[in-house]
Amino acid sequence: MFRFHSQIDRIVEAYIGEYASGKSELAINRALELKQQEHRVVLVDLDTVEPFYTLRPLKRLLEEKGLEVIGLSSEDAFGLGETGAMLTPQARWALWREGDIILDVGYGVMGAQTLNLVEGAYESPHLRILAVINALRPMTNSQDRIVEYLHNLGRVDAVIANSHLGDETDAELVLNANRIVFSVAQQMGLPVDYVAVDEKLRDEVPGERFPVPVKYIKRYMPGAMWK
Amino acid sequence: MQATIGESKKAFMTGNEIVTWAALAAGAEVMFGYPITPQNEVMHYWTRLAPKYGREFLQTEDEISAGFTVCGAVQAGKKAFTATAGPGNVLMQEPFGMAEAMRLPLVAIIQQRGGPSSGTVVYSQQEVTLTTFGGNGEGNRMVYSTATHQEIFDYVIKGFNVAWKYRFPTFILGDGYQAKMREPLTIYEPQDRGIEMVSPYPLIGKAGSIGVDREAEHLCNIYSLEEELYDVVLQHAEDYERIAPEIIEYEEKECEDADILIISHGVVSRAADDAVKALRAQGIKAGYFRPITLRPFPQQQLRDAIAKSGAKKMLVAESAYGQLYRLIRQEIYGETIPIEGLFMPGVGIIDYDIMNKVKSIL
Repeated sequence: MFRFHSQIDRIVEAYIGEYASGKSELAINRALELKQQEHRVVLVDLDTVEPFYTLRPLKRLLEEKGLEVIGLSSEDAFGLGETGAMLTPQARWALWREGDIILDVGYGVMGAQTLNLVEGAYESPHLRILAVINALRPMTNSQDRIVEYLHNLGRVDAVIANSHLGDETDAELVLNANRIVFSVAQQMGLPVDYVAVDEKLRDEVPGERFPVPVKYIKRYMPGAMWK
Repeated sequence: MQATIGESKKAFMTGNEIVTWAALAAGAEVMFGYPITPQNEVMHYWTRLAPKYGREFLQTEDEISAGFTVCGAVQAGKKAFTATAGPGNVLMQEPFGMAEAMRLPLVAIIQQRGGPSSGTVVYSQQEVTLTTFGGNGEGNRMVYSTATHQEIFDYVIKGFNVAWKYRFPTFILGDGYQAKMREPLTIYEPQDRGIEMVSPYPLIGKAGSIGVDREAEHLCNIYSLEEELYDVVLQHAEDYERIAPEIIEYEEKECEDADILIISHGVVSRAADDAVKALRAQGIKAGYFRPITLRPFPQQQLRDAIAKSGAKKMLVAESAYGQLYRLIRQEIYGETIPIEGLFMPGVGIIDYDIMNKVKSIL
């Protein structure tokens, strides 16, 4: 039998979705948000699909911000070669930790299946699987394409609207592109947990423009060289 | 052929994904490939999208086969391509050589990873020598080194056109950073930009009797006599040198009065561009020169930049141990400007690296 820590209200979220949809960025922001609310937070880098292109270069920075980060740092991976692509025991048993758990999962269908390897993931009463969608990415830029994509991913409990164009994002794009995400959510009977908006657009995209909470995010991932 | 992009639009994508969309937009009919990081998503996206647009894919048993199947498909008149990296690029040199020998319009996307051997899966610029002069031929290839996501889209489309127009193997040389980075760009149907796509045509099995209706097609990668090969190689060299001025592309900034010229290619040129701006702001007259085509190389243009600037030094910055440096030296043989190198094989180069190096050598 699986036995979980007894915190009733704890938050366990797994960020899944298309490659470069914003999973790592939103997982980092969510973990830091919870930390700011004085929760105990564990951020887990579960990306075994492309482990060389994850939040790994940011691990140290995030730890300095008070997050507990499970995942290999660049230093930890030194010398491992291709065996650096492994699921650590700490990640496998992450749900046994106390506090809120934010899982940054590898991309696509294979990425979502990584959750199979996390002990107790599907028995967890807390786990919510959140699919991140950027409707300005061509693979997910229409209602049909997003619906098809979500069906492939398996279990999804909610979607996050994260439509943007990096540095070239503007308010109009955020408002228009995310409409598609809301239509998809309605069609599939899924909640939209929140809309993620670059904090630089805080004034131009006020929260009341959407029927769900807007989270203003700070972009950390450009700090990784390959981004 | 079915429209793929539709109306021109801004999109947010990774480099590998862009390769796929650009190949679709260029009318590529079939990809042959074998998995290797960091080009895997080119295949992943192609296999997801190809069936929707009536295109085809075959995963071969290795890179040697992937290259040769491209050689076969283009002879049958199919617009075909492959994508690879590192050790895969090494294995493909044999089919790339065949494409040189037989003047086949082969298109390959190379996403450089660390080397030698399996190196790293992440990033490098260590496939310059291999991609420009690999194989046992004379380097009659067209190699475009991209620096931005917009360029990946633009040059993949252009790559198919120059391959089918000039019939030399054509390479889009990226790297792991460009493959995985995500950036906004504008995607479009080539015809909406006035770009006429060269239609593929069969090289073999043509209609008509040889000697009566048409000349014979000599598609040959082996000859009986030394003299036969000699004539063919000389003819190819002549053809290549004749078209080179039409192919050569480069980018130059602030070279008119530069005391130091900074030469780089690919993603490193983004750092060089920033470094030149920052150095200028600090009163150091730096100039920027970037070969976009590494083969054929803009050697006259670089000589002209050296001459007009009167620069005292040149710095070659690259994520390799002197591959671009050696290429430049052979291309501008006879120039007397001292050339220094900032060699950082397998790791990224940022503006500060270049600025510090410039200050240490000026």
